Order: sequence, then C-alpha cells, then structure tokens
Amino acid sequence: MFRKLLFPIVFLTLGYGFWLSGEFKTIAAGVAIFLFGMISLEEGFKTFTGGTLERILKSSTSSIARSMGFGVLTTSIMQSSSLVSVITISFLSAGLLELTSAIGIIFGANLGTTTGAWLVAGFGLKVNLSAYAMPLLVFGVILVLQQARNLKGAGYVLAGLGFLFLGIHYMKDGFDTFGQGIYLAEYAMTGYAGVFAFAGIGILATVLMQSSHATLVLTIAALAAQQVSYENALALAIGSNVGTTITAIIGALSSGVNGRRLAGAHLIFNLTTGLIAILGIYQLMAVVEWISTHIGIAADNYTLQLAVFHTLFNVIGIVVMLPLITPLVKMLQKLLPIEEPEIEKPKYLNSASMDLADAAAEAVRNETVRLYDISVKVITNGLSVHSEIFQAEKKAKRVVKKSKEIIDRDIDDLYERKIKALYGAIVEFIVHTRAGYSKGLLREEMSALRGAGQNIVEAVKGVKHLRKNLNRFMKSDNVYISKEYNKLRFLIIRVLKKIDESRKITESDPSVMSLDLDPLKLDIEVRSEKISNGLDMLIRENCIDVQMATSFMNDISYCNETCWNLVEAATVLFSTSSRDDQSAMQSIALDEHEIAEIIETQ
Amino acid sequence: MNVKQLLDKLAGILNDERHAQIEKYKSLKKVLKALRNEKVALQAKLENTRDVTQRQEIESRLKIVTAQRKKGLVVLKELKKERKNQS
Repeated sequence: MFRKLLFPIVFLTLGYGFWLSGEFKTIAAGVAIFLFGMISLEEGFKTFTGGTLERILKSSTSSIARSMGFGVLTTSIMQSSSLVSVITISFLSAGLLELTSAIGIIFGANLGTTTGAWLVAGFGLKVNLSAYAMPLLVFGVILVLQQARNLKGAGYVLAGLGFLFLGIHYMKDGFDTFGQGIYLAEYAMTGYAGVFAFAGIGILATVLMQSSHATLVLTIAALAAQQVSYENALALAIGSNVGTTITAIIGALSSGVNGRRLAGAHLIFNLTTGLIAILGIYQLMAVVEWISTHIGIAADNYTLQLAVFHTLFNVIGIVVMLPLITPLVKMLQKLLPIEEPEIEKPKYLNSASMDLADAAAEAVRNETVRLYDISVKVITNGLSVHSEIFQAEKKAKRVVKKSKEIIDRDIDDLYERKIKALYGAIVEFIVHTRAGYSKGLLREEMSALRGAGQNIVEAVKGVKHLRKNLNRFMKSDNVYISKEYNKLRFLIIRVLKKIDESRKITESDPSVMSLDLDPLKLDIEVRSEKISNGLDMLIRENCIDVQMATSFMNDISYCNETCWNLVEAATVLFSTSSRDDQSAMQSIALDEHEIAEIIETQ
Repeated sequence: MNVKQLLDKLAGILNDERHAQIEKYKSLKKVLKALRNEKVALQAKLENTRDVTQRQEIESRLKIVTAQRKKGLVVLKELKKERKNQS
C-alpha cells in the first residue's frame, strides 16, 4: 500500500516544488543528472572488467597505502572528493575493487581534498568542474555510438563524468542564491556551543551545495573578510568534511550492497574524524600554531592556518582509523549483508516422505503441480500478459490485446532461480526416494511426473526464446508482425486458460478423464498451421521482410512446443482419478503424430 | 466363476506385477467403455446439430474419441496377449 502511494506522493511533491521554485527545479534536475551520470559511469567501467582497467586498478590499489595514495592523487587532480568517492563506489559495484582497497581510496580522498583548501587559501585557484562537462558529454556520446566495446565503454565513462560534473554544476547553481544569502558574521559564537553550531552549519551547507569545496571557499572568503571568527571557520571546515559524505550516500543509492558498505565506511570515517576534531579543537589550534610557525606561515594568516588545520585533522582521522579498517569491513559486511538471490525451495518434498513410496509419490505430484503454477506466472510475465487473464469472466483475446506494455521481468533469472532450482529438487528427490526405484505403477507414476516436470521446464524455455523477438516486435511499427506475435501470445494463453478450466472441472468431478485435453492438442496444431499459412501470405504481399519471417517461423515452433509441453504436463498432473485409471488414460492419450493424422483426414 | 478365472484371481493376488497388469486391464476396459459411450453421445448430438461450426467441433471431437478408442483397443489387445502368455 505504502509502496503504491510512494511514487504518486513523490511525483506530486516534486511537481509542486517545481511549480513553487525555479531553484528547486534546478537542484532536482542536478540530482537526477548526477544519478544518471553514476549509472552511465558504472556501465562504462563494467565494459572494462577483466581488461586493462582491472590491471591498473589492481597495481595501484594492491595495498592500503597504495589505495590511499591513489585516493590522494586522484582527488588532488580532480579537486573533488565527492567525485572520487562516487567513482570508487562504481568501481566497487562493478567488482573491480575490494572493499578494503576502496576504503583506502576514500581515506586518501579525504586527505586529497585538503589540497583544495591549500589552493584556495594560497592561490585562490579552483578548478571549475562544470567547464569540463560539455566537452566530456560530446566526446562521450560520440564514443558511445561506436561499435567497438572498449570505445563504447570509454564513451559511457566520459559521458558519465560529464553528467556528474553537470549534475554538481546544476546543484551548485540552484543553491547559489542560498549560498550568497548567508552572512556568517551575524552568527559568530564562542566556546563549544559555537563549534557545534558552526559544524552543523558546515554540514548543512555542504549537503545543500553538494560540495565541501564550495563550503570551504565560502568559509575562506568569509574568514579573509573577517566575517567569521577563526574558531568558527575551523568548525565550518569540520562540518564540510562530514557533510561531503552525502554525495557518496546519494551515489550509493543506485549501487549495490558493496557501494552502500563503502558509503557507510565513508560516513563512519568522516564522522569519527569530525568528532575528534570538534572535541580536540583547542588542542589542534595550538598544534596548528606550532606547525605554522615552523613552516613559515604568518601568525595572522588565518586562511592558510585553516588549510593546515584541515590537513591536520584529516591526517589524525587516518591515523586513528587505519588500524580499524579490518574490523570496520567486518562490521559493514555484517550490517549490510549481500542479499542472496531467492531460490525457490520445495514445499512438499521432505525426508519424512522419502521412505514411504505412496507419500513420496504424492509429495512429488504436489511439488510438480506447484512447479506448474509458478511456471504459469513466469510464462504470463514472459508473454507480457497480466495475471487477470485467469479470471473466469475475462476473455483471453481481449486481455492479450489489452496487455500492450512489455512486463519488465528478468525471465532468465526467474527460470534459473525458480523453475530450474525447483525442478532440480524434484529430480533429486525422485532419485533418492524409494519410489524412484520401485516397480510397477508407482515407478510409472514417478517417471510420468518427472516427465511432466521436464515438460514444464521446456515450456518456460520456449517462452524464454520466444520473448526475445516478442519484445522486439510487440511494439513494432509494422502492424502485421506485431499482430502475428499477438496470435502466438494468444495461442499460449488460450492453452493455459483451457488447462485451467479443465483443471477446475476435474477438481469438482474426478470422473472426468484427462483424455479431455486431446482436443486441445488438435486445436494447437490447427491454429499453428493457420498462423504458418498466414505468414506465407504476408511474405508474398511484402507486408513483412524475410528476416522477420524467419524469426517468426522459429517462434511459431517455440510457441507450438510450449503449448504441447503444457498440455502434456497437465495431462499427467491434473487427473484426480485412481493411479490405474491415470495409467490407462496416459497410455491412450494421442501424441503429435496421431493428432497430425487426424488433421490430414479433415 | 470357472476354475480358470479363479486361478487368474489367485495369481493376481500372489504376483505384484500380474496384479498391476490385471488392474491396468480393468481400468483400460473402463476407459474404453466410457469412450464408447462418449462416441455414441457425440454421434447423436451430431445428428441433431445443424449449425456448421458446432458440427465441425463435434466432428473433430468424434475423430479424437475414435482415434483414442482405436489406440486403446490396440493396448488392450497387447495386455490380453501378455496375460495369455504368462498363464
């Protein structure tokens, strides 16, 4: 319920915000572009997995010290610890980095970010990220359009970086007015109250502006203009250091568990460092004074002293946290476990029923029926048809026609996790159970059930193959081909619906024979042939090209096999008559060849 | 019940495989009888139906039942033969 309401609420709130404030719109667009950049960057790095990038990364991050060096260097060059942390998250998510090395990079990035304070305080220089965005985007998109895998990957990386820069630029732009409106001198406070308050302001400003550099620039400018006291400026610098983690947290939202772990490590490191700096601010000020005197910084040059302070507390943070990296990794792994893909587990198969042949046969039957039910869901999803199809009053044709949107489910994943896993468990149970090697009707039944399971698996596989072209042609501009694919969807859905109806009748009247599904086999053959004949006409009249036609011919065959497999499985599974009657009926149920003979006489 | 039938019954009780064979034979006969009844009912329905589509449906159903019966009779014959050879 909450999930259903979440999207409309978020959309309405955003819409209202856009209408209310142009700056909010710019900031939101910045966040969106930034997140898109993250996705693009990850996509790009993934193409380099197993290649040169892996080697460079491995050699430059083979130890914690090297990782830290990598972090310091890249942050100093890029002048953005946020960018380095999001890139590190994407490296980590792509599996190019170990969590320990990634944490090393983050520690290094924190130290690297202090070079910014030195540059601004010392030379008033600052690399403008937004200036790089446009050329990066242009070069990136050109490369993305190339066929070669490496060029495409490089294109995604460049475009991703471009989007990141652009996103940060828009975010900064949106908050510009906000930043200009802050008059820090009015808020000058002394003592620990002042330190905490200004650290809070620093955090808030960095979160809002998405850049610790921006906060530092403001702080240094304010300090130079004596708008803010030296003590409060140090607190602002501490706050900016803590606030910068928000970028990594936003970046981690779109990445996997490892990305979230790294964002967690980043947050813990910066919070610890911040806390140490706040609590020991007066002692640190004395150390800064001592260092400044020794390196020749004038006693009244507070801006450079701020840079010294910034570097000092980050170094202290690293010294404190470095020995704690291993326990930190362990804690994060425990707090944020990797979600194992949910594998379908058997519900009816248990060791208790293994030794009793009849109980085992019943358990296998129930489990295979369950496998069928799960497969029906996978098949309907695969055909992009809504599950309401099985409501008695719904007409199959109408529901298929209405289901125009592709249902975005990973059928391969569902097949592996649900269908194959469950069928594997059934086969294993049959092999290990007494009934599996018993004689007579029980063995016959077990073998039939195993066959039914195989039919179900084949049916899902058929839809898996069919889906590839189905998704392509369902929304094709060529109405003829999309109509033909709708016929295939309808045929499979019709078979599922007929089986469902027959199953309901069989449940209420056990005397009804499973042989009743034989007419459905005839129906499948007649309809498949009709679709094939229709295809010939479409080719003759140039309504579809030969490539479409060959794809469609293959898909008719997948569709036909799927239908047959479903009927064969249902014939075994949904008969409620005695074991003897079932066996008798199965021995005279018609096969493909016999159905073909009937068609010939028609 | 003559001696042969009595012996058959006894053999069926004592031998698992033979018992299963007899049960299958009985079931098959039951299914074939049901199919014969269905065939008669379909033939009667066909005579009283004028609608072309409905007639086509009944006709194909009739063809299926006939083919099923034909296949069933072959299986029944084989079972009968097996039983004869065993006794």
